[in-house]
Amino acid sequence: MRYTSLCMGHHISMRGITKAYAETIANDDVAFDLAPGEVHALLGENGAGKTTLMNILFGMVRPDAGEIKLDDGVVALSGPEDALERGIGMVHQHFMLVQDFTVAESVVLGTESAFNLKLRRKNIEQRVAEAAERLRFDIDPSQRIRDLPIDTQQRVEIFKLLYRGANVLILDEPTSSLGPAQIEDLFTSLSSLREDGCSIVIVTHKLNEVMEIADRVTILRTGRNVATEQRGNYDERALARMMTGSEVHDVTVTGEEYEGKKPIYQVQDLVVHAGSRLNAVHGVSFDVRPGEIVGVAGVEGNGQRELVDALAGVAKIESGAILLDGENITSRSALDLRRRGVSAIPEDRQGWGLVTDMTVAENLALTDVPAGRFNRNGFLRPKMVRKQARQVLEEYDVRPPNPDLPVRSLSGGNQQKVVIARELSRDHRVLIAANPTQGVDVGATEYVHRRLLEDRAEGKAIVLVSIDLDELLKLADRIIVLFRGKLAYQAPRNRCSVDSIALAMAGTPGEGAEITEREAAAAAGAETAS
Amino acid sequence: MTAGSPALPPRHGLEERLRSLTLARGITVWSLLRVIAALAATLIIFAILLQLLGSDFGTAFNAVIDSAFGNSFNIGQTLMTASLLIATGLAAAIPFRAQLWNVGGEGQMWFGAFCTIGIALNLPKGLAPGLSVAILVIASMVAGAVWGLVPGILKATINANEVITSLMMTFIAIELGNWAIDGIWPQGASNETMSVPANTLMPNIWSGTLVTWGLPLALIAAIVAWAVMSRTKLGFEIRAVGLNPQTARMNGMSVGKVAIVTFALGGAFAGLAGSIFILGINGALPAGFPLNNFGYLGIAVALVARLSPLWIIPSAVLFAGLRVGSDGLQASTGLSTTVGQILVALFVILLLAFRLIRFSYPEVASR
Repeated sequence: MRYTSLCMGHHISMRGITKAYAETIANDDVAFDLAPGEVHALLGENGAGKTTLMNILFGMVRPDAGEIKLDDGVVALSGPEDALERGIGMVHQHFMLVQDFTVAESVVLGTESAFNLKLRRKNIEQRVAEAAERLRFDIDPSQRIRDLPIDTQQRVEIFKLLYRGANVLILDEPTSSLGPAQIEDLFTSLSSLREDGCSIVIVTHKLNEVMEIADRVTILRTGRNVATEQRGNYDERALARMMTGSEVHDVTVTGEEYEGKKPIYQVQDLVVHAGSRLNAVHGVSFDVRPGEIVGVAGVEGNGQRELVDALAGVAKIESGAILLDGENITSRSALDLRRRGVSAIPEDRQGWGLVTDMTVAENLALTDVPAGRFNRNGFLRPKMVRKQARQVLEEYDVRPPNPDLPVRSLSGGNQQKVVIARELSRDHRVLIAANPTQGVDVGATEYVHRRLLEDRAEGKAIVLVSIDLDELLKLADRIIVLFRGKLAYQAPRNRCSVDSIALAMAGTPGEGAEITEREAAAAAGAETAS
Repeated sequence: MTAGSPALPPRHGLEERLRSLTLARGITVWSLLRVIAALAATLIIFAILLQLLGSDFGTAFNAVIDSAFGNSFNIGQTLMTASLLIATGLAAAIPFRAQLWNVGGEGQMWFGAFCTIGIALNLPKGLAPGLSVAILVIASMVAGAVWGLVPGILKATINANEVITSLMMTFIAIELGNWAIDGIWPQGASNETMSVPANTLMPNIWSGTLVTWGLPLALIAAIVAWAVMSRTKLGFEIRAVGLNPQTARMNGMSVGKVAIVTFALGGAFAGLAGSIFILGINGALPAGFPLNNFGYLGIAVALVARLSPLWIIPSAVLFAGLRVGSDGLQASTGLSTTVGQILVALFVILLLAFRLIRFSYPEVASR
């Protein structure tokens, strides 16, 4: 039976929305409409003003000008609580769940009076379980958030909103940390919510998602409306053009530079623990030859992060070995690895790649200063740092090319360019790149891809970890799949099948997808030998 | 890809303009105005307090200003107090820049003073004054550094909370000091250790005042700290680790090494304060109030200066003026010295209220 009172979406109409932050206009006279029972994609590059617009609709941000109409009545939202009361709920890109709470506690958080002394775990769990059944949500109310995989956490976020009576759901970049199978699941449940009458806004910069799920799309560019189109009136190419204002040229991999070369970077039976969760990486082996990109696929949280940290020298290696040019460099310090020519692009650029409060020039020198460059007897040589920075900024097209600005003031894409510029411009032989295009727009993505391929052409050994399978299929010479810290699949690109990769990522052994570690090692060895 | 954000016409609100007028890294005209506002609020509350105690605010206010800045002698007293606060301010600021909360400047200063006394009493009598002072200052700085190294090494090796360890080290150091006064080097019935020999005292540099070499030493210390932080490889690593330890690690810096080095540096500056007090101000280690709390006050001095070594100088003069001035209260109004201490405490609390002191550094742009 359908829970029919669940969703009776509102007609929402936003007009003339304008919001300025210190020096930028995030939204400039933006209009946005939402009809009951539609999935409306809000498409735009990073910094186009999508999230700001939705934060305004959710009452988190107050617009400088403009009005929001809810079923013909103009409303002034006082805050998220107010928005929720009117049936508008939002799931942020970074979930706002308390890691130590159970599912049930997270769901009722904020709905119960602080003075309700009769609140008992059993009661809430029962209430939440009943609601979950009614809404056809497969979640266990007694589990702790921290123990749940990322897609289940997202389901909890969505369920939480429905539990509170939301009938307009705003999802900010909902697929950014999901694998293909999980995205499929998410879209299935969104479709069924749509049938129930919910209105859904998906904030995204991914064109294929718009094609797949949206009934209507609104495109923003630099804080302004570009277009709003009905499904069927656009294709991917048209969306890309509207989003970026120009044609996007695909990069293509050419040649097989690594052919016949010996591997210079070898990972053997690597085991890395991750805090309380044992064996985040459980015996992974692979080789990289000069001029080869090895793509590491997998759903987020299957050991990629620990693998990258270990390769970069910031996580403890329990056992196994890493060889560079045949020399054992296992468990060497990050400083030592950097000196030996290992470059690393961490996936979280603000958390691990940059010091956002230091200047661009200082960030470009972050790796070289500890390694001994740019100083004489311990005294820095700021002129040298800035001169080098100017050159690199020019070469890597960072905008604005001003070495004295704090990195914080650059856009996301340009911040990523600073990381790329630092890691690629220094003398290196191996590059570890983790999700180098996550959260950057189409233009910057294409740029990063081109740079990676240039690095490959120069004969570097590259390990590219990505949750974006399309990216790997485009760039990698060989693809391996991590599932629960183990190698679940590996094949050269020209012999890859997308289906078997997807199955391996989901942990389902499919035809030809399943290989044991021993076989994988043997296969790697055989390739090396040939 | 262009940064697709159209520039906004500049706003013309007074606050906006004041906020954007930057005097130095992290210091704007706006923040200076807030210091003044905090000072004004302190005086208003203090006036009410005095009224309740039955004293006249005008007299008291004049007494504070007069005893802090009234004549060259008084100015000298304020400057010598400031030189202690500059040194303890640096002791807090350097580790704070690396996001390490050294609250043990007090203990590092006490241990420096303890070692200064101990060594000074045992130096050969015929040593040239300049040489003996140099030996003692260096020894005191080394002693402070050793005291600071303990929390630093514990932090680096077993990740022990540096707030707790540096505080515990302070308790030990103060007890050592008390033992020196009562047991090791007592001076008759007075509540002090024996006085250090005359050839170990810092020479006076301003006649008619008690200003000694301690003041220029503190100023040099601030300049050295500034140079280290902004001009050296070490300072670069300290800043990077403080602003983002993860990125620092990823780029080959050692967070543990920075913890050890910053605590040693901080301790050395606190140790300098100890030797300035003994050799440049008091001549002996006294019990209680004269030396107490300078280490802790240094934390407030550093935070008001936004951890910038050079801004610590005016910040220290401000706090020193309040402290010395409040001593004058007793003479003119007959109020207990504790009332004067309330004045300093009030000021710190109001600086917090005006959000000038924050236990987070720097202000990270909210996203």
